[in-house]
Amino acid sequence: MNEYVILSFHAVIILYGVLLMTPIGEAIGSILVNKWPSTSTKRGRMLAGLMFVCTGGFTVSAHTLWMHNKLSEGGSVCSGSSILNCDGLIGNPDYNTVPFIGQPWGLLGMVAFCALLWIVIVIAKEPLAFSTPTFLKAGLGATIAGLPVIGLLVSYEIKEGLICPFCTTAHIANIIAMVAFFVLFKMYESDEWAPELKKTRK
Amino acid sequence: MGKDWLELTSEIMNNLYRSEEASARGDAALIVISLFFAGLLVVAFTSNPIATGTKPGERAPLFSGKAYNGDGWETFVFDDLLTPEWTPNSTDDAPWIAVEFMDRLCGHCVSAASEVGDWSETYVKTSNWPGPDVLFVAVHVEFQGSSSRADIEDFRDSNGHTFPYFDDDGVGSFKDWDIGATPTYFLVQPNGIVAWNSGIQNLAWDAVSEESITIGDPNGDQRVKLNEAIEQITLSYGGATE
Repeated sequence: MNEYVILSFHAVIILYGVLLMTPIGEAIGSILVNKWPSTSTKRGRMLAGLMFVCTGGFTVSAHTLWMHNKLSEGGSVCSGSSILNCDGLIGNPDYNTVPFIGQPWGLLGMVAFCALLWIVIVIAKEPLAFSTPTFLKAGLGATIAGLPVIGLLVSYEIKEGLICPFCTTAHIANIIAMVAFFVLFKMYESDEWAPELKKTRK
Repeated sequence: MGKDWLELTSEIMNNLYRSEEASARGDAALIVISLFFAGLLVVAFTSNPIATGTKPGERAPLFSGKAYNGDGWETFVFDDLLTPEWTPNSTDDAPWIAVEFMDRLCGHCVSAASEVGDWSETYVKTSNWPGPDVLFVAVHVEFQGSSSRADIEDFRDSNGHTFPYFDDDGVGSFKDWDIGATPTYFLVQPNGIVAWNSGIQNLAWDAVSEESITIGDPNGDQRVKLNEAIEQITLSYGGATE
């Protein structure tokens, strides 16, 4: 199967998450309401959307780890004459492991997106808990901490004159998650987080 | 200050232990850990990663820079010598690669220069060698003292060598190849896997069984030389002509 067809699977998961978080999320999220009633609220859709984004980030990171392994076997997984080329980056021993740790970047991505997913699920399960703002800050902090890492990886791409579409998809997922955590944090500080409580108070 | 921090940590741990929120965290952790290990298992079962290194069976480290080929210094990229799609059953004539790390000021390298030159001309089909072609590459390192590029050119030309001499000065590929002394020889499979390392002597890599094997010492001098390794290893695979 063409590598870009496989990439589109990851992208669709992330895109669905993004759409859930936008104003049209109410319409496209209707299929989830029966199974997950919380998606009938804006907060619920934001959190569900963020779960999809983190899941997409996780799957694309796992895919880059698989590519890393395949390239070490001597195969070719995503190369071409154009600027879009994963082999030249994921297969480049100078850039394909985390400095000091020596593990593939894909593994770091899997761990990072799992950690974010854990934060999102905890918030979704206990949105009114005292620890919720702490978790929101942790999610925001973790995604902001990912920016220098993305910067480093983009610098490798610039140095090599190549773009790895799979890596870029994971970077975009991190940035979307950062924006989503920021919006959620703002929402928490407003009455939008728990409008039912606002009505009760009135 | 320290006490406050300790109290805060203790309070958080107590809350984690007693609070019902802890079950949400535990449930979430179970979901996420399951997802993580499911992902790892899929990757583990569908790929077979090979470490980069210079032991038999590892992927030879790549290097690039300038090499002297007799006409001048040109860009040399080690990857360009490889045939990634090669398999032990290949019927094409993908060449193997012999890499020699040497220093023109090292006595053993000087005395070996003549036989290395002979080997580079022996293990090619045009000399009636029944095995696959073996491309020779010399990587010049500066272990004994400094050498200019003109010195490297002189050394190559005076020994009548026809293979490229890579200048490792400023590249440092000897570190990736874990070179502690010169000369050190490697035989690399066409797909970039190290088949033999003179530093490890009689241990070689069998591409069919994907296991280390022991190769013999035909001369009985307690030392397996590059030519002996080439003859014992390459002839067992495809690519040979009848």
